[in-house]
Amino acid sequence: MTTVSTAVLLATAPAQGGGVAADLAWEDTTLVSRLGDQLRALGIDDVQVLRRPASPDLAADLAAVARIARAAPAGVLVAQADVVTQREALAALLADPRIGTGVLSSLEGVGAPFAFGQRSDRGRVVSAASPFHAAGGPTERFLGLLKVSAADTAALAAAAEELAGLVAGGVPAAWEAELERKRQDWKGEAEAPARLAAAREDAVALLATAIVRRGAHVGNADIRELFWARPLSAAAARQAAADIGGHDEERVLLDSAVKATDGFFTTFFVSPYSKYIARWAARRGLTPNQVTVASLALGALAAAAFATGHRWGLIAGALLLQVAFTTDCVDGQLARYTRTFSALGAWLDSTFDRVKEYLVFAGLGIGAARMGAPVWALAGAALTLQTVRHAFDFSFAAAEHASMDVAPQAPLAEPSDGPAARSGAAGTPVPRPAASARVLRAWRRIDRLGGAVWVKRVVVFPIGERFAVISITAALFTPRVTFIVVLAWGGVGAVYGLAGRGLRALAR
Amino acid sequence: MSALDLYRDDGPLARAFAPLGRAAPPSVLVAVAVVPVLVLAAATGADGSRGLLAAAVAWVVLLGGASRGGALERDRFRWAVPPLLRAGEYTLILWMSAAGCADGPGAGFALLLALAFRHYDLVYRLRYRGRTPPAWLGAVAGGWDGRLVAIWVLLATDALPAGLYALAAALGVLFAAESAASWRSFDAGDRPALYDEGEGEAE
Repeated sequence: MTTVSTAVLLATAPAQGGGVAADLAWEDTTLVSRLGDQLRALGIDDVQVLRRPASPDLAADLAAVARIARAAPAGVLVAQADVVTQREALAALLADPRIGTGVLSSLEGVGAPFAFGQRSDRGRVVSAASPFHAAGGPTERFLGLLKVSAADTAALAAAAEELAGLVAGGVPAAWEAELERKRQDWKGEAEAPARLAAAREDAVALLATAIVRRGAHVGNADIRELFWARPLSAAAARQAAADIGGHDEERVLLDSAVKATDGFFTTFFVSPYSKYIARWAARRGLTPNQVTVASLALGALAAAAFATGHRWGLIAGALLLQVAFTTDCVDGQLARYTRTFSALGAWLDSTFDRVKEYLVFAGLGIGAARMGAPVWALAGAALTLQTVRHAFDFSFAAAEHASMDVAPQAPLAEPSDGPAARSGAAGTPVPRPAASARVLRAWRRIDRLGGAVWVKRVVVFPIGERFAVISITAALFTPRVTFIVVLAWGGVGAVYGLAGRGLRALAR
Repeated sequence: MSALDLYRDDGPLARAFAPLGRAAPPSVLVAVAVVPVLVLAAATGADGSRGLLAAAVAWVVLLGGASRGGALERDRFRWAVPPLLRAGEYTLILWMSAAGCADGPGAGFALLLALAFRHYDLVYRLRYRGRTPPAWLGAVAGGWDGRLVAIWVLLATDALPAGLYALAAALGVLFAAESAASWRSFDAGDRPALYDEGEGEAE
């Protein structure tokens, strides 16, 4: 179920009124034993707890994590022992094979203001804060659980040893200054003194910072609407126990089966009901791959109907294509809902989407030829435009990931990881941004206007819009009209996409 | 090999011309190679002469191949190279098929279906398994450069559209069969090279 063999829980944050927060009462047990039981239920057999005063200080915690990481037979989870959350949140991090090394995090401000910020790009954490480190332009908050894949446990151990060396005999002065900055930020919060005391013991956030700065590929599992808290007092623990029941895990799981960044048509016309089909399919025991294959079969039927060249064939093809598209949304939602991701499933889903679309082009081309008005050149142009647009998407993503892999990282002794810290030239004046950078910033500001993001998502002509346009134009008009509309809208989307990427490239 | 090198899908001819482009930014070379061909193809349509098509193929193969030689990591538009090569290849195939005979574009479309499978498989196999198709497959398929020259020869020998249909069928079967076979030797230890959900369509 999970690739993690070993969990290290840090019961080091002090509770108000003495002892550690992890030992606060929760029903007839404690926070740490509740979390340990949850992790064992998810398949982690070896759950170890580092506890004050047996592990006397931060340096000892880090040295122990290094030892455990080196001895672990598979992946390692490092977590705050006092985290109270729901099974589905833990499963999203631990049981999702797409996340090798990753963290539990919140995009919506869960844990604010005390949970440390981190910045992600293309789903990957590129900068992570700790009590003693800052992250520029944070996009989400770190929620105290760090999963490290077997491939990265050596890096985790090395990071822990490096940190242990840095904190032995007191933390560096620059780190103290950063914690003081956080103390200023938290001024006026009733919990601030307890949170500052907990921050001083926070080995988990330090390890997250360190592994990101070592260049590891760290992913995100979003907490979504699930419950999360780190109670530091008996009263806070009682409050958490009262609140956790208000978060319906089943509903969150179903809602989050819908992909977060889908197009307009998919989000508003397909996903609202396809997620219930996904749940029905899950209860029937259907697998995502079976649904994917069914969707391809429906798409092939649509293409065959288009190929008849009769009006009834064009109408039947249009309807079949919509059924095929709904089915196609169901497979991904079923995979997310049942958390049955596989490399083959992901490949089939992506590949069959393309096969379906181009089979439909072929069907429309054959249909047009049978109607006595061949449109092969237009069909070829439409296929070329779509393939080239995808090639831009793929190549741009590849170039971005390659840049992230070679991006220089600041040393751990340095609290900031801004450009000055990376080059070691602190104090260099920041140059005035180029015109392209200012245009890009204005472009992104438009994103924050209400509805603008949806206009942008419609302009780029995503798959839901493409299939809707194909169905409507083919049913009402002729294949020639379909290809002309697909080429025109796709052309606008191509120009728009190229302009945005060109700006980003110039702003570098 | 980086993903951007892989996506180029170069054959032996393009590789041979790579040293010519050592000093130039790859994205500029590819844009100079491909953009004029897109314009000419749109302007002449089915009326492109064999001489003009030969010149266009030579131009794209020479400059597109040379773009392999430049310093990709210093080119801030490096992400434009593979898609422009694709645009050049597919457009030339459609252009040559239209010039061949009235039935040509249907055969050209069939060949594009087979090639699109190959080009998406290059991406998805790397993305979901961290694997690349074997080098022999790229060599047998000739690369984009080899295919363009081969299709011009078919055109010049009046072998269209049958030659294109034969090429489409042969390559389609080859690409699909190799891809399916690769899953039989699938090892659960294959790891995704990069994880980026979605098509990036809502960029």
